[in-house]
Formats: sequence, C-alpha cells, structure tokens
Amino acid sequence: MIELNNMQFSWKETLILNIEHLQIEANEKVFIQGVSGSGKSTLLNLMAGVITAEKGKVIINNNDLKAMKSAQRDSFRANHIGFIFQQFNLIPYLNLIENIILPCKFSLLRKEKALKHSKSLEEEAIRLLGNLGINSSAILKRGVSELSIGQQQRVAIARALIGSPEIIIADEPTSALDSEHKASFVKMLFDECEKQNITLVFVSHDESLKNHFHRTIKLSSINSVKSEEVE
Amino acid sequence: MSIFRLALKSIQSRKATFLLTFISIALSVMLLLSVQVIKKEASSGFMQTVSGTDLIIGPKSSQIELLLYSVFHIGSPTTLMEYKSYEKIQSNKKVKWAIPISLGDSHKGYKVVATNENFFKHYSFANGKKVEFRQGKVFEDMFHVVLGYEVAKKLNYKLGDNIVLSHGDAEVSFIHHEELPFKVAGILKPTHTPVDKTLIITLHAMKAVHNDSHGHFMLRPKKSQQHDEHHEDEEHHDDEHDENHNKEHDDHEEKEHNDEHTNSSTKTFKENLSHKVAKRLKILPEKISTVYVGMDSKSAIFSLQRKINNNTQEPLSAIIPALAVQDLWNFFEIVQTTLNIISILVVFIGLLGMLSLILMGVQNRRKEMAILRSIGATPFDIGKLIVGEAAIVCGISITLGVVFLYVALFIVSQPLYDMYGFYLQIQPLSLQEFAILALIECCAILISFIPAYQIYKQSLIDGMNTQT
Repeated sequence: MIELNNMQFSWKETLILNIEHLQIEANEKVFIQGVSGSGKSTLLNLMAGVITAEKGKVIINNNDLKAMKSAQRDSFRANHIGFIFQQFNLIPYLNLIENIILPCKFSLLRKEKALKHSKSLEEEAIRLLGNLGINSSAILKRGVSELSIGQQQRVAIARALIGSPEIIIADEPTSALDSEHKASFVKMLFDECEKQNITLVFVSHDESLKNHFHRTIKLSSINSVKSEEVE
Repeated sequence: MSIFRLALKSIQSRKATFLLTFISIALSVMLLLSVQVIKKEASSGFMQTVSGTDLIIGPKSSQIELLLYSVFHIGSPTTLMEYKSYEKIQSNKKVKWAIPISLGDSHKGYKVVATNENFFKHYSFANGKKVEFRQGKVFEDMFHVVLGYEVAKKLNYKLGDNIVLSHGDAEVSFIHHEELPFKVAGILKPTHTPVDKTLIITLHAMKAVHNDSHGHFMLRPKKSQQHDEHHEDEEHHDDEHDENHNKEHDDHEEKEHNDEHTNSSTKTFKENLSHKVAKRLKILPEKISTVYVGMDSKSAIFSLQRKINNNTQEPLSAIIPALAVQDLWNFFEIVQTTLNIISILVVFIGLLGMLSLILMGVQNRRKEMAILRSIGATPFDIGKLIVGEAAIVCGISITLGVVFLYVALFIVSQPLYDMYGFYLQIQPLSLQEFAILALIECCAILISFIPAYQIYKQSLIDGMNTQT
C-alpha cells in the first residue's frame, strides 16, 4: 500500500508537487496520467524514496520513508520496489541475465524469494524471460545493445519482477515502443503483476493505455501545483 | 564484492578506451621498478666483486680510477708499480695474502690478467666464494692460460686449445704475440664478476711475451712495431738474451717449421722453441699494475692503508674497495635520484590520464547510475563503483608493468652482460618494491575520490531523473 499525505516537494525553491492525499491499495494497478513536465518523475522518485519530501508523509507498506535514514530507504527500495524506465533500462556492460539478476545483488530478500521459484538466479531470470516470450537461447547470448527496444523493455520487466517485490513502478515504459508493441507490453506487465499480486504504478502521458487499469489518476487533478507554474 | 564485480565488468566493456591508460601506467611502473632493480643489482654486483679484498694497492691515482681499472677493468692504468713493492707488501706481517695483478694485454677484446697462483688460492668474491674450475686446473706450465667462463663460452675454447694474445686492450689490436701462444689449461665456473671476462696467465709469461714482441728472441723478423712502454727495459733484457742466443740459432730450422704451423691458426697448442727459451729464462716482471691484499685483521687495514699512502719510496695508493665502491655509488646517486623523479612523474601523468578518462565517463553514465539507484544502490555504492574502477585500472596496469619489467629484464640481461659485464640477476620483487606498487595503487584510489565524490553528489541530486 502506498499512501501520500499532505506532501510537498520543491526544487530550487519552486514548489513542484503538492499532493493532499493519494492512496494506492495493495495489488491495485494504477495508471497515473500526466503531461511531460508535470512532475511525474519527481513523484515516482518520492514514492521510491530516492528523494524525500520536505513536508508531509510518504508511507509504503506502513513504513514512513521520511523516518528512515537514506541508506535504509535505499535498501527498502531494493527489497520492495521494482522499477522500469522509459528507455535504456539496461546496464550496457552486463549481459541480459546479469541485468535481470542485478536487484538480487542489492537485496537479500529478493534473492531468497527468487530462489524459491528456481534453483539459481540465472534459472529464475530465464524462467521470467520465458514468461515474457523470450525463449530463444540465441537472444540470451546477445549483448544488451544488440536487443531490440521491445526486447530490452521486456528484459526490464523481468528485472523488476525478479524476487517478487510488492510494488512495481513503471515510468513511461512504453514511450519508445510502437503502438502494436505498446499494448502487448502493458498486457504482459499487467498479467505478471496480477499473477504475483504486485501493486503496479504505471505512469504515462499516453491516455490510450488507461483501459488496462483498475484506476486512472490524473496527476493534474491531485497536484495542486499547476504544470504551467512548474515549467 | 558485488560492486567490485560491476566495476570489473564496466572496465572490461571499455578496455579499448582504457588501453592507452593501461600501457602508460604500466610503462611508468616498469620504468620506476627498473631504476630500483638496476640500482640494487649494480650495487650488489659491485660489492660482491670486491667483497673479499681488504685493500687494493696501485700506483698513485684517484681511488675510483684505481678501483675501476684494477677490479672492473674499466679504463687502463697510466703508470705501473714496482714488483718489489709487491714483495714488500707480501712480507708485511699483518698481510694475510697479496695477489699481484698485471694488466695490459687482451685477447679478442677480453682482458688478460697476469698473476700468480695466489689468485686462485686467495681471491674471493660474493662473500667468500673462491674461483672454481669448471674444467682443467691451475696453470702448471708457464704458458698455460686459465679462461674465465664467459671467454671460453663466447669464443668456444676447449682445454688444450691454442691462444694468441694481443698487445694493448683494444678490440682490434695490430700487435699479436704470435711467437708465444698459450695453452688452455683451465676454464673457470661463472662468477658473475669481471673474472668471467678475463684470461688469466702467469706473470712470467706476461713478461716473456712482451720481451718477445720486441723480437728479442730473434727467431724470425718482426713485423710489429716496438712499443714505447717496454722500451726502457730493452737494454736490460738484451744482456740476458745474448747468453741464449746460440741455442736459439741452432734450433732455427725446426722453429720455422713450427711457425708455419702456428700461423695457420692452429687450434691445438704445441710447444715451440720460443716457449722453451722463455721457460729457461723465466724472468719476473719489474712492474705490475696492482696488488689485491687480504689482511689478518680488519683493524690492520687502515694502518696499512695509511702507511702505503704515505710511502716515500714509491708513490702508491691503497684503497679500501668496499669504501671506494660506496663512493662510486654516491656519485651515481644523483643519476638515480633524477631517474626516480622522472619515473615518479611519469607514473603521476599516467594516473592523471586515468583520472581524466573516468571524469569524462561520469557525465555519460548518469543513466547507468539512475538504474543502479532504482534497484537499491546507495549513492555511496555508486561512489565505490568509481573507486573500484580506478583500483582495477591501476591494478591491471601495475601487473602489466611488472610483466613488462620482467620481459625487459629478460631481454636486456644478456646484452647488458655482454657489452658492459654487468650481471643482472633476475630476482622476485622485494618488499620495498611491493611497497612502491602499493603506494601507486593507493594514489590511484585516492585520486579516484574526485570523480567518485562528483558522481556521489550527482546521483544524490539526480536520483532516478536523467532527463535534466
């Protein structure tokens, strides 16, 4: 469960976000829609505890992020949140499998969970990729930069899923995909989260994707700071 | 550990970029180490050569000059000392042993040392080792020669071979003592001192070949010219030779036959008439180059040195070789310090090259840092990644540098020995050298704190935002 209360965040003395209340229930799949520059990424950084709000509270699974030390927040994030970025989700010098199992290097909890499904982390990575439609061993051997964007984004899902974190935050993950891939990507992500009871927070400017989700939140409707003022 | 693995992979993916850094740091490390190695080897080599000798006595000259020509055969003496002085030194009660040394001749670029049996009995090097024979034994005959290991090996001589010495010490000499060839009687084991590059003959033989080179034996017309150095002795020897003149004449025909034999570059030694004559004469030289002295007690060294240096009968110098070598090193210290400074600067430049590469990377890797942050890496982890990268780059470079060093030592040791007689013993790195390497590694880690701090701050501000 994610809960934001009276949260304010400013960047260089300009108020960017001012959210009175936002609550996302466990296992809920939420679509947050906002135009670029409306503070979407900042909101996600706040939810993940990468940055902290100067006022108000961010509570995740009954833990107040602000009450933690920064290293605690980092390890909390490693344990409980999977992240999917817009593009270039992968570390170029690691291979596909190494990229997927990387979160387990930072979180013992996720490593243990992953090992419940498979004998080794590598096997688990391959299993997850299989669920996402990447089976061919030829692809597994390829360098990360040799993958298509669609494949890269699926690898990113596998990385977010490994070790079953409670929450997955996706930041415009489909913006680099064409419309055909977009739909299948969202469906795949959605289905995998459903299977593992993962809370999904999906942020995009693209309204066409909202049909897949339980709930759509317009950022402009919950943020009392208007985007014109931000820019 | 996990961060270290990441750093390793990151460097691995950029090895082409870092190649020049690897090479430049490696070369600088090699340079730095080779200065240390050469200094160490040269000083221990020099020390070992003179370790067994308490005093070196020669005609009045500077101590370094005397040391260089008497022990290391570098340069040549300008004056000589009386053989009588040697006898006097030897009769001194506090003198345990004295070895007379006469220099001046050569064979195919190798120096000839004329001495007596004392050399084999008493000369020691490398803390008490005596010269040992690989083949054959000490000369029993006046015209026997004992070859240093290197001489026999390089010129491919065997026991019983015939050797013609040349006058002077130039590589190409025009005056050969063809009349009196020598027989190889012994070949020494390697000593890694200048002894390896010498031919050892008796003082008597040295005297004989020089008398003969003036044509005193008159067995055939001499082609070679007289030599000034021996001119003064001429009158004296003429008297001696006259007595034998008749005998020489009788055997003339036989001798001519032998001569042909000798000139057509015979390999096996055959005693000729000149040898017989010379043996009968068996004259000792009046002059020698230097005397090596071993004392009964260390305390007697200084008093004898003072006595000889103040000697009024003949102007002589006595040096304590160990101290003279030390003096020589003090002189080389300047060169060594200069080389050290240069190589330290080169190491520093190499490290700066690495720093600039890493700094350049910092800006381009914001996305990568954001990903790492998103999966739970702390800004501190990200700083560690950069430090780890620097440590790896420097570590690889140092390893490469050590490999370069040993390859270079391996390649250079033989030519160095051949050309300068400088024996470079290839040894594992000393503790001190490891300390130098560790210091370089520490410097690399220390300077990587600059980009590490930068990226730490950057990832604190950026978080997972990379669009800014």
